[in-house]
Amino acid sequence: METAVTLFSVIYCFGFCERKFRSVHLTEGNIQAGLMDSSEGPAQRPVTLDIDGAGETLEASVPPQTDPTEAAFREESIDLDAEAFVSPQDDSSHSESLIDRLNDQMMESVMISDSPNSEEEDVVPIDSLLEQNEEKEKAKTPDGDTEERNEDLSTASAAEPEEASEALFKEENEEEKIVQVDDKRETIAPDDPKPEAPKTQDIELEIDTDTPPKDEAVPVCTIFSQAVQPKAQALIPDGFQPTLVKSPSFTIGNTETPNKLVPQVCQPSPSLSKFFTDNGAVNPATDFFDSFTTSTSFISISNPNAESPKTAVPPESPLLSAPTVAETVPTSTYFTPVATKPQVSPVEPMNKLQAVFPSGDDPFASALITSELDKRYDAWLPSEDTRKVLISVATQQISPVQIDREQLAMPGLKFDNLQGDAVKDLMQRFLGDQAAMKRQVLSASSVEQSFLGLKRLISTKNWRAAVDLTGKLLTAHGQGYGKSGQPTNHTTDSLQLWFVRLSLLVKLNLFQNAELEFEPFGNLDHPNLYYEYYPTVYPGRRGSMVPFSMRVLHAELPQYLQKPQETLDRLHRIKSVCQKILSNLQEGLAEDGSMMNLTQDNRLASIQLWRSRLSRVMYSMANCLLMMKDYVLAVETYHSIIEYEPEQGVQLLSGIGRIFLQIGDIRTAEKYFQDVEKACQSKGKTPNEDTSVLMNRAFVYLSQNNYADAHTCFSSVLKLDPKNPVANNNAAVCLLYLGRLKESLGQLESLVHKDPALYLHESVLFNLTTMYELESSRSTQKKQALLEAAACREGDSFNVQCLKLV
Amino acid sequence: MQVKGQSSVADKMEVNQAKQEHLLALKVMRLTKPTLFTNMPVTCEDRDLPGDLFIRLMKDDPSTVKGAETLILGEMLTLPQNFGNIFLGETFSSYISVHNDSNQVVKDILVKADLQTSSQRLNLSASNSAVSELKPECCIDDVIHHEVKEIGTHILVCAVSYTTQTGEKLYFRKFFKFQVLKPLDVKTKFYNAETDEVFLEAQIQNITTSPMFMEKVSLEPSIMYNVTELNNVSASYESESTFGKMSYLQPLDTRQYLYCLKPKPEFAEKAGVIKGVTVIGKLDIVWKTNLGERGRLQTSQLQRMAPGYGDVRLSLELIPDTVSLEEPFDITCKITNCSERTMDLVLEMCNTRSIHWCGVSGRQLGKLSPSASLSIPLKLLSSVQGLQSISGLRLTDTFLKRTYEYDDIAQVCVVCPYTSPES
Repeated sequence: METAVTLFSVIYCFGFCERKFRSVHLTEGNIQAGLMDSSEGPAQRPVTLDIDGAGETLEASVPPQTDPTEAAFREESIDLDAEAFVSPQDDSSHSESLIDRLNDQMMESVMISDSPNSEEEDVVPIDSLLEQNEEKEKAKTPDGDTEERNEDLSTASAAEPEEASEALFKEENEEEKIVQVDDKRETIAPDDPKPEAPKTQDIELEIDTDTPPKDEAVPVCTIFSQAVQPKAQALIPDGFQPTLVKSPSFTIGNTETPNKLVPQVCQPSPSLSKFFTDNGAVNPATDFFDSFTTSTSFISISNPNAESPKTAVPPESPLLSAPTVAETVPTSTYFTPVATKPQVSPVEPMNKLQAVFPSGDDPFASALITSELDKRYDAWLPSEDTRKVLISVATQQISPVQIDREQLAMPGLKFDNLQGDAVKDLMQRFLGDQAAMKRQVLSASSVEQSFLGLKRLISTKNWRAAVDLTGKLLTAHGQGYGKSGQPTNHTTDSLQLWFVRLSLLVKLNLFQNAELEFEPFGNLDHPNLYYEYYPTVYPGRRGSMVPFSMRVLHAELPQYLQKPQETLDRLHRIKSVCQKILSNLQEGLAEDGSMMNLTQDNRLASIQLWRSRLSRVMYSMANCLLMMKDYVLAVETYHSIIEYEPEQGVQLLSGIGRIFLQIGDIRTAEKYFQDVEKACQSKGKTPNEDTSVLMNRAFVYLSQNNYADAHTCFSSVLKLDPKNPVANNNAAVCLLYLGRLKESLGQLESLVHKDPALYLHESVLFNLTTMYELESSRSTQKKQALLEAAACREGDSFNVQCLKLV
Repeated sequence: MQVKGQSSVADKMEVNQAKQEHLLALKVMRLTKPTLFTNMPVTCEDRDLPGDLFIRLMKDDPSTVKGAETLILGEMLTLPQNFGNIFLGETFSSYISVHNDSNQVVKDILVKADLQTSSQRLNLSASNSAVSELKPECCIDDVIHHEVKEIGTHILVCAVSYTTQTGEKLYFRKFFKFQVLKPLDVKTKFYNAETDEVFLEAQIQNITTSPMFMEKVSLEPSIMYNVTELNNVSASYESESTFGKMSYLQPLDTRQYLYCLKPKPEFAEKAGVIKGVTVIGKLDIVWKTNLGERGRLQTSQLQRMAPGYGDVRLSLELIPDTVSLEEPFDITCKITNCSERTMDLVLEMCNTRSIHWCGVSGRQLGKLSPSASLSIPLKLLSSVQGLQSISGLRLTDTFLKRTYEYDDIAQVCVVCPYTSPES
């Protein structure tokens, strides 16, 4: 193997380089990347560069070193000592892998290992300084302190604990500035050959290793040796030195989960209605349902006519089925706008609720509309397996009792402990029991034990109590704690309760709990989650009992648990069903692809609904992609939503612009912001009068580090819309970056006290508490005042973490 | 990399201690760019149990985008939540606040912020003059900026000195340590073209943990070269980057940049004589991250070992790319004397398995003085189809009795001129 770099003629036509060029493969442990086949390779040397700070050369006039042999740029070159190879990921334990990293680095890089020693007198050697510091820290820190130190790390700013620094300060005062270089320094830079070694030395070394003595001895030199070619070529097809692969940070790249995209596309099933019509007989399994659960009355809340004898009449033909269903089943769900509102007294127990619902007096017309609405909203395309089961149930081939339990969704509560109130707990801790007593929030037991009470809890932001209440209601339905895996039947209401419960868990960031309770539902495609499974309870009704929003929630959940690919898979499945349903509608079929006749109005309404659902799914996809930092796809997806939601065009374009600002691509962001301005102009507004245009401008200024102009822009938004909370908050943030802490603080504080409804928001409070911490040592008292303010207004779902009290 | 500890969260015990000892409190916060608040949309339809409750809650939430509440990226700015990472070439900004926690007026306050690196100590304070007095509950604010130019441990040293009402002079310091990391990994590779051009391929890898927008990656050539960037594909109306529309690098992504360097005419003349290490230039890299956080680096001067041409350089001036089988074709060779002495050269042509030279082998080329060159036309034919290497040229310097061998000097594609068997 001949390894001369340069000394001999290498005559080459570049056009042929790529094909001919073979570098000798480096065996493991071979150092220095510059090895190559002298007879073949053009002088290619992968070199890891040392990076100088930009503008270093400007300072060349004050070189700290006196070595005349060094060129100016070398003097300025920065010491790549061991610290340099610490990967950004590991915060603490970099010393362990240090040796490995160094070894790796040795193999590929030309080290410029000397740092100019500053001759400034004030220099305190870092390590000695830190050592003292850390020692003092350890010595002075009592055990009880550790907890507080942890919290320090999690919050906003950066500083040594005061004790430690002050200890150090005293030390420093006693013996004025110790200047000494300790041993530790040298261990940190082990590849530092000599403190004064100039860079040229390294290069010489490199040449030495690269030039075999053989070549120098033989006067007649063979320039090309063909023997080596094929071997080398086989090893390195792309011409790069293999050392490139061994970059210290390279291995980390493999930790990313491979994109697993196995979309289980829902097979659009053929019309179910034809199976209903094929078989004239009714499914007589009426007794079946009662045997499952004692609280059957719960079922009938939304199906007051469930047991009516009329249900025995099946739809005769696909054409007739729609009106027939309407006639026979006036399933007025509670939530239907047309349904009469029930008057539920708070104390009434659950099983009496049934009586409250008006059961027989629904006018025919409203029943018809309701049924159309049901059909539209409940439409779904089950998977092939589920479809078969549903057909068998409908055609009485099997009774639901015979169906394998494995195929059924059997949910139950996974936890039944009460959620409590974190605000109250904090008040108890910081303000005492008496103050905590004043905190009055609704709890699950203090409201009506019904949907009405549930809604009250949700609207007053007592989501924890609302979760408790859904637990109670589900327990009444037989799906309580520990009931998971036991057969129950589902109703429209039970699934709505589950939906509300799981939504609230997600809203409360209790993702693990939500995942646990979602688990028995599988992929929401079990046969007993479809109305067809209950022909007697919901005669003639078809489609999914699972609300569409619950499917979206189910799809969105995994991304919060670091499984975004799963989220995308699920969303794609939903999307394909939406698209299939839309294409069915456009082809003149019913949602599920059956030959049912739809009136033009209904068809249009249905298309509108499913388009909005499709856009909702696309929103989720784009949001998920954004969280995955897949900006290309996220931007594309957001852009495609504009087609479905043209009235959100301005917001979407601005949002895309902000994504580009987040990446750092200000120029592209500005392009999108210009589109926003055009859109505003086309609406007849002048750009200076539009808040979104002004807001976008402010963000551009912010990205240009121009906080003063950004502040002006946010202020001009406030002239148009004085109550705009975003502009108020952002203006205050700009003030801080301008070094006007007191003003910024004063502004935010007065906003929170003047208009708590708008400003008791976690983002604003987080900013405010951060500024409190920066302002004075009495931040705790001020934060407690915020806690009190929050306690008067906010429900139990208030996120106390933004106050940074704990 | 987290800075150890933190001053702004003052735990209660320390507050007491600090109050006993000092009337002033020093707080420092790193000012990375603010972040945009992201919300978490949970929606339902109006027929669902919560009805319009969820959407109403989202509309009332000030952090959502009004009119498009399902969009997670809001407009609300939040202050930095932790120290974050800082990389070489970025700007370190910090808020320094000195607050009078006491109930007395403090005089002659001097706040000094220094940055101690492994090699030097820099003063970062905007002003070095003392503030004459500070009333209770008032503070002195300073925002410092520093472009980080060194890797490794940095310590921000903040010193405060002041005089109490009783005339007592007090002084305290605080240390804030942080690590500066390397943001990019740059590898380079040179290709020497036959025509004295040099191609530089630079691989730039993002070794930070956040996406990076590459605003500018350019090669600043040394005085000897002109540079052409080969990172754009020029379409009909505007040139498009080879990296596509989005010019950002995900963490650990690597991107390859290609540059072509041509020696300037005044240096090209002497190209045959350029030997040893030459300075090619340096890469200038500007990137941006979150909300325009900017970083800039230059590599050290890239050096290339100029290809050694030995004593005699043989290059090709003219060669067809495709030739017909068994049909003679012409090439023109240029022979340059790269040595310091005059040579007397004899050219020999040795046939290989596929290449057959036409003409007389062993012909005298005459004397060639240093740096002089001569062009000689040669005729040859190939007896084998396919891609054939031209080999077998031997130059002998009769003065020193040294022979130089030139094999694989170029390749030609040899095709059969008869396209179909009939013809």
